[in-house]
Amino acid sequence: MRSTRSFLLAFLEQAWLPVLLVVIWWFASEGNTNPFFPPLSKIWDSFVTEMSSGQMELHLWASTRNILIGLAVGVVVGVVGGTVIGLSRRLRAVLNPYLQFFRTLPQVAIIPIIIGAFGITAVPKIWAIGFACIWPVLLNTVDGIRAIDPGVRDMVDAYRITTWRSIFRVVLPGALPQIMAGIRISLSVAVVLMVVSEIYAATEGVGYFIHITTGLFQTDKTWMGTLLVGLMGYLLSVIFLLIEKRALRWYHESAS
Amino acid sequence: MTTAAEGTAMDDPRQSTATLEVRGLAKTYGTGAEAHEIFAGIDLTVAPREIVCIVGPSGVGKTTLLRCIGGLLAPTAGEVLVEGQRLRGPVPQIGIVFQDYSRSLLPWMRTVDNVAFPLESKGMKKSERIPRAEAALEAVGLAGSGSRYPWQLSGGMQQRAAIARAIAYEAEILLMDEPFASVDAQTRADLEDLALDLRQRLGVTLVLVTHDIDEAVYLSDRVVVLSGRPASVVDVVDIHLGDDRDQLTTKSLPEFTEDRARVLRQIRRP
Ligand SMILES: Nc1ncnc2c1ncn2[C@@H]1O[C@H](COP(=O)(O)OP(=O)(O)OP(=O)(O)O)[C@@H](O)[C@H]1O
Ligand SMILES: [Mg+2]
Repeated sequence: MRSTRSFLLAFLEQAWLPVLLVVIWWFASEGNTNPFFPPLSKIWDSFVTEMSSGQMELHLWASTRNILIGLAVGVVVGVVGGTVIGLSRRLRAVLNPYLQFFRTLPQVAIIPIIIGAFGITAVPKIWAIGFACIWPVLLNTVDGIRAIDPGVRDMVDAYRITTWRSIFRVVLPGALPQIMAGIRISLSVAVVLMVVSEIYAATEGVGYFIHITTGLFQTDKTWMGTLLVGLMGYLLSVIFLLIEKRALRWYHESAS
Repeated sequence: MTTAAEGTAMDDPRQSTATLEVRGLAKTYGTGAEAHEIFAGIDLTVAPREIVCIVGPSGVGKTTLLRCIGGLLAPTAGEVLVEGQRLRGPVPQIGIVFQDYSRSLLPWMRTVDNVAFPLESKGMKKSERIPRAEAALEAVGLAGSGSRYPWQLSGGMQQRAAIARAIAYEAEILLMDEPFASVDAQTRADLEDLALDLRQRLGVTLVLVTHDIDEAVYLSDRVVVLSGRPASVVDVVDIHLGDDRDQLTTKSLPEFTEDRARVLRQIRRP
């Protein structure tokens, strides 16, 4: 009982400001005739129509799928690559300049190349998202492994912990806080790449929806699509935070 | 500190039989102009069930020596023999207890899993590992704390857990680098008595590095004094305080005071 109540309180504490803003927006925009800033009520109407037409669901599904598969690819490649590099001093020395290059390269820049080369279907978009998601995860995995205390290394040696066991039971859990932080960055990168890749060339997805409605001067729908992207990114990050909180319970609790 | 009940698994006297020999050991960090010779020509033999403390001024090379003895660091010259076998890396007869217990225990594992973890690599089944870890925890006075995480334990309890890990591992020789340096005085006294108690009950051999002369004399059969640059063994002080020692009476014996004075003189020797 107590926890539900405190949860509700925490929720209200978080929710009052966005709710207030939406209410203000709703009334302030009512009757607005500027075509670029349609009233919120009109945006809401188009949301209701589009959702009931069934088309919007398909767009949302296509975008979510691209984000999740791309992110998964990026996380797997990033963690595996980051572990190999993090454990090998020589590899790090050789690869460091290239890693720094990918760290600073704005990942949206690769979209035209990948889509140009592989076409406008979903697969190249997933590739682009996956490729962009690799770097934050990979670099954070390397940093996380490097930051593991030398005392832990000594313990692993002294007690003759086998290599695979030390990777899965010591190195990866030890680097997990940083890996999670990397995944979080990759998640926002994935959302950006999803939108941009669909605006650039696509036949489905929320980004595509935004793109065609702009072309048709259906500003209320463009607004609606944009708001949906924001909502989608927000929901994904909330889900991610819940997962992170569970996976890193020891980390958060031992710090407090 | 006899917290463990009689007749537990840990009372089975495994009685160390492993002799530790150090012959002509030398270590130099770096090469060429950067070379820094830490110690040279160290000879030392530690009998089974013996407690030997290594003392010496800060920076003399005690940690370096202990790491070489434990197989964590390759010496530049000389050799370490365990049961007559030349050491090429860490061996299962040796368990190391680090000074920084908070770093050597893994925060994402419960205490009992930390203690049992090295046994996995020995190929032991979980049904064997956990009871053995529980028994080791009991032997160090931590019965019932295994399900907590290391960071939920006090400093002294964490160091006990680290000792339990070495015991569960069935190390016959325990190497400890300033194991009690970061706990309060009372906890420190308790842990010293735990060390004596473990030798008595389990028959383990202990090689301990410490800054504290009182601690060295109280615990040891022999105190090895390191000094000089490069360091060498300047004296080995035999301590005759018997097997039954306790914090109050032992430390007020005239023999204690004499031994203590002798060690101090050796350390301060120019
Ligand atoms: N990895 C290393 N590379 C180079 N020099 C080192 C290294 N580790 C230690 N040293 C040097 O070796 C010397 C001995 O260090 P060590 O840590 O063994 O001393 P110690 O007797 O344990 O000191 P303390 O009592 O302060 O713990 C010091 O001068 C130190 O600077
Ligand atoms: Mg030291």
